[in-house]
Amino acid sequence: MYRYDEFDHAFVEARVNQFSDQVARRLSGEISEDAFKPLRLMNGVYLQLHAYMLRVAIPYGTLNGRQMRKLAHIARTYDRGYGHFTTRQNIQYNWPALSDIPAILKELAEVEMHAIQTSGNCIRNVTADHFAGAAADEVADPRPYAEILRQWSSVHPEFSFLPRKFKIAVTGSERDRAAIQVHDIGLQLKKDEEGRLGFAVWIGGGQGRTPILAKKIRDFLPEADLLSYTTAIMRVYNLHGRRDNKYKARIKILVHETGVEQLSAEIEAEWAHLKDGELKLPDADIAAINTYFAPPALTPRAEGWGELAAWKKSDPGFAEWVGRNVAPHRHPDYAMVTISLKPIGGIPGDASADQMDAVARLAQEFAHDEIRVTHEQNLVLPHVALSDLEPLYRALLTDGLATANAGLITDIIACPGLDYCALANARSIPVAQEISNRFGDPKRQAEIGELKIKISGCINACGHHHVGHIGILGVEKKGAELYQISLGGSGDEYASIGQITGRGFEPGEITDAIETIVDTYLANRTDTDESFIECYRRIGADPFKAALYSSEAEAA
Amino acid sequence: MKTTQMKTKVLTANRLTDGISVWLGANGEWTTSLRDAFLARHEDAVAAIEAAGHQALADNRVVDVNVIEIEETEGGPRPYRLRERIRADGPTIDYAPAAAARVSQAA
Amino acid sequence: MSVIWTQNGIVENDPWISGGEGADSPKLLPLAEALDHAQDNAPFGVVLQPADDVRALAPILERVAIVALTFPAFSDGRGFSQAMLLRERLGYKGELRAVGTVLLDQVPLMLRTGFDSFEVHHAPTIERLVERRLPGIDLHYQPSVDRTDTTTGYSWRRTAILNG
Repeated sequence: MYRYDEFDHAFVEARVNQFSDQVARRLSGEISEDAFKPLRLMNGVYLQLHAYMLRVAIPYGTLNGRQMRKLAHIARTYDRGYGHFTTRQNIQYNWPALSDIPAILKELAEVEMHAIQTSGNCIRNVTADHFAGAAADEVADPRPYAEILRQWSSVHPEFSFLPRKFKIAVTGSERDRAAIQVHDIGLQLKKDEEGRLGFAVWIGGGQGRTPILAKKIRDFLPEADLLSYTTAIMRVYNLHGRRDNKYKARIKILVHETGVEQLSAEIEAEWAHLKDGELKLPDADIAAINTYFAPPALTPRAEGWGELAAWKKSDPGFAEWVGRNVAPHRHPDYAMVTISLKPIGGIPGDASADQMDAVARLAQEFAHDEIRVTHEQNLVLPHVALSDLEPLYRALLTDGLATANAGLITDIIACPGLDYCALANARSIPVAQEISNRFGDPKRQAEIGELKIKISGCINACGHHHVGHIGILGVEKKGAELYQISLGGSGDEYASIGQITGRGFEPGEITDAIETIVDTYLANRTDTDESFIECYRRIGADPFKAALYSSEAEAA
Repeated sequence: MKTTQMKTKVLTANRLTDGISVWLGANGEWTTSLRDAFLARHEDAVAAIEAAGHQALADNRVVDVNVIEIEETEGGPRPYRLRERIRADGPTIDYAPAAAARVSQAA
Repeated sequence: MSVIWTQNGIVENDPWISGGEGADSPKLLPLAEALDHAQDNAPFGVVLQPADDVRALAPILERVAIVALTFPAFSDGRGFSQAMLLRERLGYKGELRAVGTVLLDQVPLMLRTGFDSFEVHHAPTIERLVERRLPGIDLHYQPSVDRTDTTTGYSWRRTAILNG
C-alpha cells in the first residue's frame, strides 16, 4: 500500500496545524460559526444531534494493522469506544469534542491518516474496489490511480468551493464493486486494442433527492491524461454547475440539463487546452505509485486445499462462513475474506475499539497486514492463505466478527439516521436491527439468497437506498416516521434505480412489509438459482405491490 | 390571555467546545438535562430565552440554537418532535461496545 | 471599513476601491460596459460577476488596468476558475482582485489561482494579513498559476513559501 514520503508527512502536518489554528480561532471567538462551518466541514467535522462527528478518510478503503490500531485508540481515548464504517469507505466517530480534534488529527498523522476533504463542497475521498489487488478478474489495480487523484485533489486551489460535494470512484474490472455509476465521476480501468491502459469515463451519477445513473462520456482515456481530463471536467462543473439550489447543484443535474453530448463537448474543448500541459502524467510517476501497490509475496500454500476440505466437513458453521464470506483470490492457495460488521440485530458498520484491535492483530498474523473497508460497511482481509482460514475464523468468532452473512438479507447498509444525524428525518438503525432479527436464522437467510437491503434516514441517501434491491427511505410525515420502500435498485455493472412501491409504512409495519416482499419473491422465483433481483427484473413490481397493498385494494 | 393557547417552549443548543446538547436552565446556565430547562410559558418568556440564545451564540458559547416546543408531563418536559426527544435522551439504540458485544455472535 | 491588501501590504489610496464615488477616480465597469468602453482612452477596470464568461474579455484585455472578480458568498467558488482562465488561458498579466466575501482561509488559494489583490472587510482577517500570518500550506499537490518550485518527487507536486 501507499506509504507517505517526506512531502506527504510535511503536508499533513501543515494541514493539521492549519486546522488547529482554525479551531483555535473559533474557540477564541475570532471567527463565527458561519465562517467556521465550511472550514470544519472541509476537514470532516460535522455537528450532529448529540455532539460533533469526525469523519476520518480511509483512502480507497485500504489500511494496515497499525492504522486500524490507531483508529481503535482514538475510539477509546477521545470517543465512546467505537466507530462507524461508512459507505464511502471511511470511519466516523460520533462523540469527539471540538477541542480534542487537533490532538486526534496529530495522532492520525502519525500513522499517515487524515480527515482532509471528508466533507464540504470539494473532491471527497476517492473510493475503489475493495478487492483491488487481489481479485482474479482485475484488469489493473485501481488504487494507484485513486492515490494519484487523492494527492492531486488535496487542498486543490481551484476546486475547494464547488457547487456541491464531488465523489470519484475507480474500479479495476468489468465487474463493478465500486458503484461507479452512482458517482460524480466513475472510472473503469481497461485496455485498448493496443494493450495500453486507460479508463472508460462516466460522469453525472448520483443518489440523493434525484437519483441518476452516470453517462459514459469517453470510452477510453489514456492513463497519462487522468489529471488533465479530470481537471477539465471539474472546471466545466465549477463554472457551470447550479448554485441557486443545493438539491440541483450536483454535476448529475448539469449533465441532465445541459445534455451529455453538449457537456462532453465542452469538457473535451477545455481538455484540448490542458492535455499536453503540466498535468500529463509521466510513465515513471505512474510506475512509481504502482510500486507501492505491488501485491505481497504470496508463497505457495497448497496444503490449504486439503485442510480446508477437512475443516468444512467437521464444522458446519465454518463451512457456512466460508461459503458466504470467503471469495476466490487470484492466487489459488489464497482467499479474500469478508469480515461482516452486520451481527444479527447489531448496528450496521459499527465496530468497537476491541474489535478494531482484533482485526488489526489478525490482519498482521494472517493477511499480510492489509485491511479493506467496503462500501457495504464491512471489512475485508484480501490476502489470506486457505490454510489460515480456520484459525482466522476461530479468532473472529471470539470477537463477534464471524457472522456468515456477506451479501445476504441481513448484510444491510444503513446510514446513522435520526439516532445521530442532524439531517435525518427518521431512524435507520432500529429498522435495520429489526429486519436483521426477523431474518437472522441462518437457514432462512441462505434460502433467500443474495438480497441487498439499503436504508437511508433522509433523502440525502447516505444509505444508498436507491440502489438497494430493496431500498428503504425514512421520511417524516405529520411529525412521525414513515418508511417508503423501493424495489429493483442495483449499484453494480448492471446499475439501476429502485422504483417506489407506493404509500409508506409506519415503523411497526416496515419489517412485515419486507417479509411480504421476501415471501412474494420466494413464491415467484423459478428456482433457488434465481436471485431476488433477477426475479424482480423478470416479473416486475406488480406482484410485489399487489402483495403489499392487497388489503387496501379490497377495502377500497 | 396570550398564554392560554401557547405551547411551552425551551431553548436548546449544542455547546461550542464539545458539541454536547444543552438546554437553557432557569438559572441562566446551560444544562445537559432537558429536565432542568427553563420552561417558557408565555410570549415574554419566549422572547427572553430567544434573546439569551442570540447572546450565547454571539458570545461563542453554543451553536445551533433553537427554541423548541415541549409538552409538560409528569415525567418532565417532553419535546413534540422525535428529533428533539432523541437529542434529549440520546440514541434510541444500544450503541456502546458492551451492547455490541452482547448482540454480536456468529450466525 | 474595507482595505485593499496585496503581498506588499495594505494599499493606501487605492483608486479602484469598489463603491468609491470620487468623480475623478477611474471606474470598475461591469462586463458589458467594459466591452463598450474599450473604445475610449481613459483607463478602466472591469468587475466581473461569477456567471460572466471571462473569455469575453479577450479582445480588450490589453487595455484593462485591473480585473476584479466577485465572490458574492464564500461558498461561490466560480471566481477561482475564472482566475485560472484569465491567467492561464488569456495570459492576463495585470492586477487581479478578489472582491466580495473574502475569507482569510481562502486567500492562500486565491493567491495560487492568480489573484494578487484583495478587498477585505473583516478586522481580524486584516490583522492577520498585515502580520503576514496567512493560514496556508507551503506544499502543493498540483501545479497552478502561482510562482512555485517543482520538487524532486512526482510531476504534479510543487512548493512555495507563503509567509516568506
